Amino acid sequence: MIPSDIHVDGPLICVEGLSYAYDADGEAPIEALRGIDLAIQRGEYLAIVGQNGSGKSTLARCLNGLLHPTGGDVWVNGLNTRQPENRYPIRAAVGMVFQNPDNQFVSTVVEEEVAFGPENLGVPEDELRDRVHAALERTGLQALHDRNPRLLSAGQKTRLAIASVLAMRPACLVLDESTAMLDPASRLDLLSLLRELHHDGLTLVTITHYMDETVDADRVLALCGGHIALDGTPSQVYARVNELASLGLSLPAAAAIARGLAYRGVDLDEGIVSTEHLVSAVVSRMSQGGTA
Amino acid sequence: MTASTDAPAIVEISALAHTYLMGTPMETVALRDAHLTVRRGEMAALIGPSGSGKSTLVQFVNGLLRPATPDCVRILGQDTHSSTVDFGSLRRRVGLVFQSPAQQMLERYVGDDIAYGPRQMGLERVIVRERVEWAMDAVGLSFDAFVDRHTFSLSGGEMRRVALAGVLAMRPELLVLDEATTGLDPHGRESVHDLLTTLRDKEGMTVLLVTNDMDEAAALADSVTVLDQGRTVLAGPTRSVLADDSVLSEHGLVCPAATRIVGALADAGVPVARGALTPLEAEEAIWQAMMR
Amino acid sequence: MASYDALRHVSIGQYIPADSAVHRLDPRTKLAIAGLGLVAVVVTTTYVPNMVLLVAILAAVRVSRLSARYMLAGIVPALPVIALLALMQLLFYGNGQGTAALGSRVLLSWGAIRISTAGVRLVIVSLMRFVDLLFLTSLLTNTTTSSALTHGMESLLRPLSAIGLPSHELALVCAIALRFLPILGEEAETIAKAQASRGLDEPRGGRLAFVQYARRLAALIVPLFVDAYRRAEEMTMAMQARCYRGGRGRTYYTRYALGRTDWIALGLTVGLLIVVALAQYSPLP
Repeated sequence: MIPSDIHVDGPLICVEGLSYAYDADGEAPIEALRGIDLAIQRGEYLAIVGQNGSGKSTLARCLNGLLHPTGGDVWVNGLNTRQPENRYPIRAAVGMVFQNPDNQFVSTVVEEEVAFGPENLGVPEDELRDRVHAALERTGLQALHDRNPRLLSAGQKTRLAIASVLAMRPACLVLDESTAMLDPASRLDLLSLLRELHHDGLTLVTITHYMDETVDADRVLALCGGHIALDGTPSQVYARVNELASLGLSLPAAAAIARGLAYRGVDLDEGIVSTEHLVSAVVSRMSQGGTA
Repeated sequence: MTASTDAPAIVEISALAHTYLMGTPMETVALRDAHLTVRRGEMAALIGPSGSGKSTLVQFVNGLLRPATPDCVRILGQDTHSSTVDFGSLRRRVGLVFQSPAQQMLERYVGDDIAYGPRQMGLERVIVRERVEWAMDAVGLSFDAFVDRHTFSLSGGEMRRVALAGVLAMRPELLVLDEATTGLDPHGRESVHDLLTTLRDKEGMTVLLVTNDMDEAAALADSVTVLDQGRTVLAGPTRSVLADDSVLSEHGLVCPAATRIVGALADAGVPVARGALTPLEAEEAIWQAMMR
Repeated sequence: MASYDALRHVSIGQYIPADSAVHRLDPRTKLAIAGLGLVAVVVTTTYVPNMVLLVAILAAVRVSRLSARYMLAGIVPALPVIALLALMQLLFYGNGQGTAALGSRVLLSWGAIRISTAGVRLVIVSLMRFVDLLFLTSLLTNTTTSSALTHGMESLLRPLSAIGLPSHELALVCAIALRFLPILGEEAETIAKAQASRGLDEPRGGRLAFVQYARRLAALIVPLFVDAYRRAEEMTMAMQARCYRGGRGRTYYTRYALGRTDWIALGLTVGLLIVVALAQYSPLP
């Protein structure tokens, strides 16, 4: 599934001094992004969090050229997003899935929906079939290939949206709050699919409100007012409790519990963010006999 | 969390079935055997995987949908099957806030929109104004800043608050929220939670929350009803319903993060009490286990 | 008590799977037949050709194994308007002009009201034509998937792209419009319910019922428009993100080929058209 595209050295996506401002109702322009510097490496799993209005979605849309910076530059595979001739190679390399899958589907048949992307790229017809089949297999939708997307469950629809981007063989997949409308079970399913895709080598950028979803990421970025406020591994970021609170963000459940225990004098491992880590830390502490 | 099991039930739904577009090729069975009981003064949660019929069920609570048989649905003591029920008055006593706030906007200006309900009720201008001010204050919208804004120019979060204020201004006895926090950031979710708790504790409002978010249900609700494919499969006090992971997962649900954590610990042999609903309770339970 | 289900009754635009000869026809054939049918409906103004047309269309519905009743249900929301129009035509059409006036007798005359046989015929024939159109469009969209329609339309229009017509874009626009009809129908239903929950004009019956009905419909418009617009914006972004650039350089996943049934169906349609034209321009009623 991973493209054998141009393999330029260096980060997949390079953001330099990115600013984005737009006009609003006759008042002064609103600056959604102010001077963002960011490098996303190939194969990296980046989670972006932040309050509503912090600029997360704007940043995502600058990454694949849907929005042009009003200041600074964004480079994808060495191509600048401002140049019109780079538009399609960039969007083929950085695929995007939006929040409401119903508003992304153009077709009434699952497999044709998946084919839409590669059709646009002019992929030869025999290869089209292979790509569609592979993308459906990858997302577990093969059995539903001739159904109407409207009849799928919310989780299946999101996976279909992902499959239709995967068929374009992007180097990177950006998910803009794709889990927001899912129930918890579908959300967990999706997260495990993302883990698998990441394992395959796909670069992932997810934007989410649910801190628990970020524990698998290699790196967490917290935005505030168009700036990057926090940048580090999940363990590093979720250790900065006070700053997170001032950003209006919370901790993943395991991190919150570890923190609470620390305040009571129980020092478990550093940087606990995931359930597994918390469980193993508590178990090993208990087997050592008693508390700190 | 107050739980008064001898308070009168204001919603009594039993063995309810409903089919959309019956007799057409598009026929869909939304409810098969749904039960729901909500007692006065409590905060009840209705949860279920997507497609389980939750939205359909709540539409019976304010009379938008009427049962085909008598003695099935009793709201505020009235059987909604009966044609003598004054639905206009019922809908003032039961306020239903839909998931997408833009669907409920009725007027061009925020102030007018929030005043719509009270005006329809024929209240005097002074009282209408009082209600609007109270409602806007309750949802955290500044009267002066928002009263003359255009409803459709608001951000998603602001529109949601206006929709809620519009329903609150009618001072309903029962407030029903269909996924009120989906898509909100942690800060937004918290303010809605605080508001609902205040409404229940200080105003004596009964609240019915339809939600996908287990952590939300665990933190707020006194009682939980679980719907799966149109059938009520579990109902009772929050603690007993949400703490049983095996039963929940049979119905495509997951228990709250904190419950999963103590469950995993208990499975690993740690003598920790199961059934913690919030991170705080989990922390306490682990502490207790360590103290022994 | 208003039945909100009516807003979901959008039979046009919904693909209903079934195993029938009509379903299996090439989409281009069906589009061509629908187009020819449309011409026939527009051209006929007398009883005999309209009867022939209606019978032929009903036969086609039969072959498609779909429910004529379900298709007719699509008319229900428009019935009040149709009834009103029919009444106006009946009462005020008078003797008509030109060929319509030939052989027309006045049946009843009272002040401005003039009921004539030409008027009666106009009303009946108009109703038949309306039903014909409803069945034709339902047949086309109920037996053909949106994607097949897009492919068919695009294929038929493709020769015109040589002179600059954006054939793929046009076809895709139609396909997306069809796809969103049921979605917007459901959205309208939800909006109506949401507004009713706010206390919007409860139907109180009586003389004001129509005004209330109109007011409720009007209140739907702005939220529905805003919703449709937002979906359009998201759809545009999603299509751009998937590198849509019109018909240039596209390849096709699905291919269609005309078969024997297609040629037979086309032949029958042309034959029907000839019969209808002959009947229309003959002295038959």
